Formats: sequence, C-alpha cells, structure tokens
Amino acid sequence: MEKKCLIELKCIEKEFDGEQVLKGISLSIRNREFVTLLGPSGCGKTTTLRIIGGFESPTSGDVLFEGRRLNDIPPYKREINTVFQRYALFPHLDVAENIAFGLRLRKLGEQEIQTKVRTMLELVGLRGFERRKVTSLSGGQQQRVAIARALVMQPRVLLLDEPLGALDLKLRKDMQLELKKIQQSTGITFIYVTHDQEEALTMSDTVVVMNHGIIQQIGSPTDIYNEPVNAFVADFIGESNILDGVMVRDELVRFCGRSFECVDKGFGEQTPVDVVIRPEDIKLTFPGDALLQGVVESIVFKGVHYEMMIRTEHFTFMVHSTLAEPVGKTVGLSVVPFHIHIMHKTEAAQ
Amino acid sequence: MKKYMAYPYGVWMLIFIIAPILLVVYYAFTDKSGALTLGNFTSMLSYTSIFGRSFLLAFAATVVCLLLGYPLAYIMSKQPPRWQNFYMMLIMLPMWMNFLLRTYAWMSILENNGFINQFLQNIGVIRLLNTLLRPEAPIEYLPLINTGGAVVLGMVYNFLPFMVLPIYNVLIKIDKKLIEAAQDLGAPSGAVFRKVIFPLSMPGVIAGITMVFVPAVSTFVISKTLGGGKEMLIGDLIDLQFMGNAYNPQLGSAIALVMMALVFLCMLIMNRFDDGSGEEGGLLL
Repeated sequence: MEKKCLIELKCIEKEFDGEQVLKGISLSIRNREFVTLLGPSGCGKTTTLRIIGGFESPTSGDVLFEGRRLNDIPPYKREINTVFQRYALFPHLDVAENIAFGLRLRKLGEQEIQTKVRTMLELVGLRGFERRKVTSLSGGQQQRVAIARALVMQPRVLLLDEPLGALDLKLRKDMQLELKKIQQSTGITFIYVTHDQEEALTMSDTVVVMNHGIIQQIGSPTDIYNEPVNAFVADFIGESNILDGVMVRDELVRFCGRSFECVDKGFGEQTPVDVVIRPEDIKLTFPGDALLQGVVESIVFKGVHYEMMIRTEHFTFMVHSTLAEPVGKTVGLSVVPFHIHIMHKTEAAQ
Repeated sequence: MKKYMAYPYGVWMLIFIIAPILLVVYYAFTDKSGALTLGNFTSMLSYTSIFGRSFLLAFAATVVCLLLGYPLAYIMSKQPPRWQNFYMMLIMLPMWMNFLLRTYAWMSILENNGFINQFLQNIGVIRLLNTLLRPEAPIEYLPLINTGGAVVLGMVYNFLPFMVLPIYNVLIKIDKKLIEAAQDLGAPSGAVFRKVIFPLSMPGVIAGITMVFVPAVSTFVISKTLGGGKEMLIGDLIDLQFMGNAYNPQLGSAIALVMMALVFLCMLIMNRFDDGSGEEGGLLL
C-alpha cells in the first residue's frame, strides 16, 4: 500500500485521575486503510479512538491529520465521524431525520438532503424505513442507521467503537463482511475498535494489538497471527499454549524437561523465554513416537475440531484435533520446529 | 399475589377521590332543593373575569418559573455529582418550611411599611422618587403588596422547585453519547442544545409546566395573602362558596368542575407539543 499517511499519533499519553491509561501511543494510519485497535477491555483502545474523534484531549502528545495538528480542533470541526458503541441515535427523531442531522447542520438544500438520505438508506439496506421511529428498530437495524448517519457526512475517516458488540453472532458475521464491503467501495479510512480477535482478523488491513495502554504489535492479520511478538499477543490472538522455557542456544530451546529444535535465533545462550505453541500445531502420535507423553484429561467437541486438554509431567497442553482420543488414554505430543514460537519475556504479558 | 397489593390504594382512591368527585358533580347539577338544574353554570358567567385573571396570573407564573427554572436545572445538571446533591438540597430547603409561613414572610417583606419599603425609605429612594417625579401627593411607599405582581411572585416562589426538579431529572438522564454524537455530526454547542438537549428535555418541561400551572391556577392562599381582596382568583371564589359568607356549595362545585375541565383541556393541549417522545409525556394525563 503506497498511500500517504492520513492520521498520525505521536507519543500520546492520557491520564484519568492520576491513572495512566495511554502510555505513549504512536501510530500512523494511511489513507483508505482499515485499521483495527484490538485489545482486552481497559487496554486504552476506546480512549485512543476518542482522542482521534476529539472527545478527549491527550495529556501529552500530538494528533496529526494530514500533517496538521488536530489537538485543539473541537469534534464538530473534524472531518471525522463516529459510529458509537450503543449507536447513540437521537430518540426524538425518525430514521431519516437521524441520518439528515449532520446534513441539516451543513445547511444543504432539502432536495439534496432527501436524495442523500435515500441513497444512504439503500446502501445499508433500510429502504422504506424513513419515517420509522429509531426506538422501534432492532439492534441490527439501529446499527445500520448509525452507520448511515456517519457515512452520509462523507468523512475522511470513520471511527467505529465496537459497533457490532450488541449483535448476535450470525448478524455480526454478516455485518463484518458488509462493513468491509462499504469500506472498500467508499474508500473511507476506517478505524475500528474491538476486543474480538476474529473480527479484527476478518476485516482489517492492519491490526494494532494493545494492552495496558501500550501498543504490543502492529501488523497485517497474517503477521499478527503467525508472528506474534510476545506471549500476550499470541494468547490474545487465538488460543495458545504458553510455557516457560530456556533458549539453550540458537535453534535449540528447552522446556518441559526436554530439548527441542526450533527455528529462532538471536536470543543468546541460556536466556529465559516464553515458548508459544498453537493448539492446532500439536500432532497426537503413539506415545513412543514423540518427545512428550501425556494423558487425555478432557475432550470437548467444538464443531470443526475437538479441543482436548492433555496433561504431561510439567504442563497441561490444549490441543485441537479433528480426531478424538478417549479420556484417560496416553498419547504422544509432537510439534515440528517451525511451529515452536520463541518470544522475549515482557512484563506486560500475563 | 402482587395484584392484591394495589387494593388498599384502590379503596383509598374510591373513598377519597372518586366519591368526592361524584359528589361534586352531583352538587354542580342540582339546586338547593336537590332538583336537577344548569343554573349553577349560567350564574357562573358573572365570574368570567375571575377565571380570566386566574389563568392569566397562573400562566405568567408558569412562564417566569420556566424562564428561571430551565437555566437553573440545566446548570445544575452540568455540575459535579456531589455538588448536584447540594444544589438540590438548596432548592428543596424552602419546601421544608410551612407553606403558609413562607407566604406570610413575603407579606411582611412586601407590605407598605414592610422590609423593602422601609429599606427604600432609609436609603432615600422614596424621597428621590418624590422629587424627581413630583406626583400630586407625595408617596410614602411603593405599592408592592395586593398587586397581581405580588401574587405572581408568591406563585413563582412557592412553585419554582416543581419546575426545576422534573426538568433536572430529565436532563441528567440524557445520554452523554447523544451529545457527543451531535458534536460528531458537526454541531457546535448552541446547535447541540437546540437540536438535541432541549427537544429531549421536553417531557420534563411539560411535567414542570403542569406541576406549576395546576396548583397556581387553583391557589387561594397566595392570592388571599399577597393579593389582598383585589386579586381574587378561582380558588378564592370556591373558598368563598364553601367557607365564606357567600355559602353556596352548589355553585362552588360547579366552579370546581369547570376549572377541572379547563385544566384538563390545558394539559391536553400541552401534551400535543410533546410529539417527539410522546410515551413519557402522555403519562401526565
């Protein structure tokens, strides 16, 4: 993506009553990009979004929009619109008037407003809902009105604060794809906040993983999933087995009382590290064919795969497999070197 | 099970609300001998000016209450939560004192030789007015008491909390996100107020107007004490029919009934204005 930088955050810090919520967030977002801020609740992702929207001002640091400092510009003067978490539709206005709210403030002609409102309603699939009360709509429909209300302003940037959080799973999946489609067809930069890693991976060009007010990793969904930089990211993006290990030397790591070949280097010798192994990367074998042996403790059917907890001498592994093994059976666990991920220990990782 | 819990109130309502209203209706349509008649209503025509004055003064008091009460409620709702409780207490404070006592207090303030006039005499304002305006007979005091203004003042003083509280209650419940959404869509603070906060506070305004207008239009203590005999209101008229020398409960009932109908009509009109979020406003009737 060779597109110029649209929004830049420079060392943003934010304090609420002496508590530091953001500890130096630096981030640049390119034009037409779909960026997701991902993290557990309380990680500062919503605060970051609110700072970009202008609803909070940073304690220190700068927000730049096309190189211009945005800090002191009030929200109503920013070319940025927001889709709020609980939609925040105006209950005293009907669907059409909710969407027309911003257009009326721009003093557009009645004809133009009606045309734009109609186009938007069609885009979000709510044709004929003009005169409905917003309180009579379902959650999914309210969501669409909220999106239409923000999009009709033709913002440069659309901020979305966990917009699908209140919808049921099926509807959420549909809306994810629809939002992605809207983003691609309108070419508007989306900054999306969620705690749902699957949602982040499905929609984003870039995922920003946050924890405790610090950016943990920035990268494409594939990078984040395949090359997590630390145990926190690995654990947050999908399920992981995280073990204490010692890097003996390059390409050799020791955990669970055994030494394993791996592909990582540059950690030094005898360095304590986090070892991360994805549940789907562990293959179950005959006990004699693997370095580790364990007993199946429990098994849960998850649809596509079975999730088994397998207790070994030092650690209980989570294993995903399409084949079920009976509880109590002793099995071997094997992992190819490529799937053993070695990470530096960090305080932020829990 | 829970249904039975409402029975005591049902009985209460029957004895002390429904039965008296039926009694009032009965009296209103009968003469002293008990025969059916509309005479009570036709004889009321001579009191039209009292009806007019009552509604006019109550209307004026309601408008003043709204103009004072809305900004007060708005500013209060913007304060930090623990200050809000303090301000709330300040507003409720006068209501802890007896209604009659409060009104008498105003009497002694507004009287011809009351607090204000004495003060004005002492600082020489009265003398100044006499020299400047040169009236035919030099005045000794400003006529404050026994005027329509004094009655309106008494109404505003006594009923202002009833305007502030419902508006405040609605204002603090407005979702802050709606204000942010309006700003987000390009509204400066003035537009946020006009297009979001004020329309959403309408149920509170309607409730406030009702709670001020209804007692104001039917009061007789305030007009009696602060209006003297000059500013007779419907309340005084009714009072006179039951407790005064004009003893005529049939006429009193008819007046009460007509006033009830008029107030009901006013409320009906009020609720028309509240089309936006009609569910809440409708509860008032």
